[in-house]
Amino acid sequence: MNAQVRKPFEEVLGYLEGRKKIFLMGCGGCATIFHTGGIRDVDEMAERLTKEGKEIVGKIGLPFGIFTCYLPMSSMFLKEHRQEIEKCDAILMQSCGDGLQAVRGYLEEEMGIVKPMYPSNNALGFSSGGPSKFKEECQACGECELGRTAGICPLVQCPKGLLNGPCGGTTMDGKCEVDPTRDCAWVMIYRRLEELGTLDELLERQEPHDWSKAVRPRALEVEPLELLEELKGTKKAIEALGV
Amino acid sequence: MKTKSNLERVLEAGQFAVTGELGPPQSADSEIIRRKAKILKGHVDAFNVTDGQTAVVRMASWAACLIAKEEGLDPIVQMTCRDRNRIALQMDVLGIAALGINNMLCLTGDHQKFGNHPTAKGVYDLDSIQFIKVVKDMRDERKFQCGDEMEVAPRLFVGAAANPFAAPFEFRVVRLSKKVAAGADFIQTQLVYNVDKFAEWMKMVRDRGLHEKVKILAGVGPIKSVGAAKYMKTRVPGMDVPDSVVQRLQGVPKEQVSKEGIKLCVDIINQVRQIDGVAGIHIMAIEWEEAVPEILEAAGLLPRPKFSL
Repeated sequence: MNAQVRKPFEEVLGYLEGRKKIFLMGCGGCATIFHTGGIRDVDEMAERLTKEGKEIVGKIGLPFGIFTCYLPMSSMFLKEHRQEIEKCDAILMQSCGDGLQAVRGYLEEEMGIVKPMYPSNNALGFSSGGPSKFKEECQACGECELGRTAGICPLVQCPKGLLNGPCGGTTMDGKCEVDPTRDCAWVMIYRRLEELGTLDELLERQEPHDWSKAVRPRALEVEPLELLEELKGTKKAIEALGV
Repeated sequence: MKTKSNLERVLEAGQFAVTGELGPPQSADSEIIRRKAKILKGHVDAFNVTDGQTAVVRMASWAACLIAKEEGLDPIVQMTCRDRNRIALQMDVLGIAALGINNMLCLTGDHQKFGNHPTAKGVYDLDSIQFIKVVKDMRDERKFQCGDEMEVAPRLFVGAAANPFAAPFEFRVVRLSKKVAAGADFIQTQLVYNVDKFAEWMKMVRDRGLHEKVKILAGVGPIKSVGAAKYMKTRVPGMDVPDSVVQRLQGVPKEQVSKEGIKLCVDIINQVRQIDGVAGIHIMAIEWEEAVPEILEAAGLLPRPKFSL
């Protein structure tokens, strides 16, 4: 997920200064999980902006599971709200930066609508966990090292991104010198390999990481999903879990 | 002989080696380097010049090395991966060798958080082990990291650091073996105050036969005050200062603490010399260079061996 936090409301108001008619759009993906763009968050934003004298000409609160950044899903809602979007002076996106830019591109290229667009959130990047605690574990470097590092990424967990073991600054109790509240990444890797009985893996020298895979911006093309089929499958699987 | 390094000569001759350390100034003052170099001259076989230690901006290590070399010393340039990517590191390796510097200590580097520019972006494109391999391949295979070949190889005696004390203790010797396999010719350890733990580590080193593949220099250094001992014990990550060391310094009148610190250092040198597989010492007396000749004299390590170059 793309972790995110709300921007200060004053910053959002600053963007909307001089714009009267506002269109709001949230996200049923990560932004719902992080309370930055779920249906309730969009309603709350509408209320706050109304109090500030704005006119909410329309809003899209996406149901959970509908990702703003995944256009085959979110575009259905955009098309549905074409008239309101055309009327507005600005669009406030309650998503991550991906959601905002995916919608901006779609509106311009597919719907011929050009509107000022502003973010209400700051995205923090990949994170995992939940329902309340999340942490960063993958930086999407494009060349996964986890197969050589006991399933723990030292490029993320070690502030120096060391691939061949801990630096000399590990504290006596196995903490990281840069942040002594955290375990040293290589102490974690060591303990895990010890438990797996494969400490020998540590002897292997890891070659320098291939950073060319992380050169931005990256883009790729895949075979499209059969969306409705996939959703049916999801429904079935959830029902089978009995939840 | 892989290089023209004096340190390599001393070690190859089977002599117990002594290296020192010099911290470059936080200014463009060359006189400080000359003054410190003159103190160390004749007392050490080679000396390290730190590379932005504790992530504080100081004169570049290679530049300070060159100034000290003019004073007739054999410098060991320290190179960290913190501030340079693999392109810049290799460019510096070529330049350093071309300037006639014979030794290079390859380090990961202290994290930028601890220095005077904590908002800097760290590089860490390579780690120290990968960097050792790069320098070795440049020297022995005449190859850059990308595989391209070069005409004239950099003839450098390659060193690495080892911390026998930091967690996980059992992994430390594994890490040493990786550094040796990557191509380290010599090792300088973290400061030894816990001699028992160091001896335990050296046993693990001998069990793996590593002392026969690499020259291990034990890090030693005098402590000037009780406060400094306590600071190292509690505030410097990866350092192991036993209570007995602090107590020994506390046990003498205040005006004699620095003298006791020197005596303690001599005692530790004498103890590590007895450990099988220790090829020398690396004495770190940053900002207390004057103590070095006295310590080495008391330890019976003077005069240093001389070779005609």
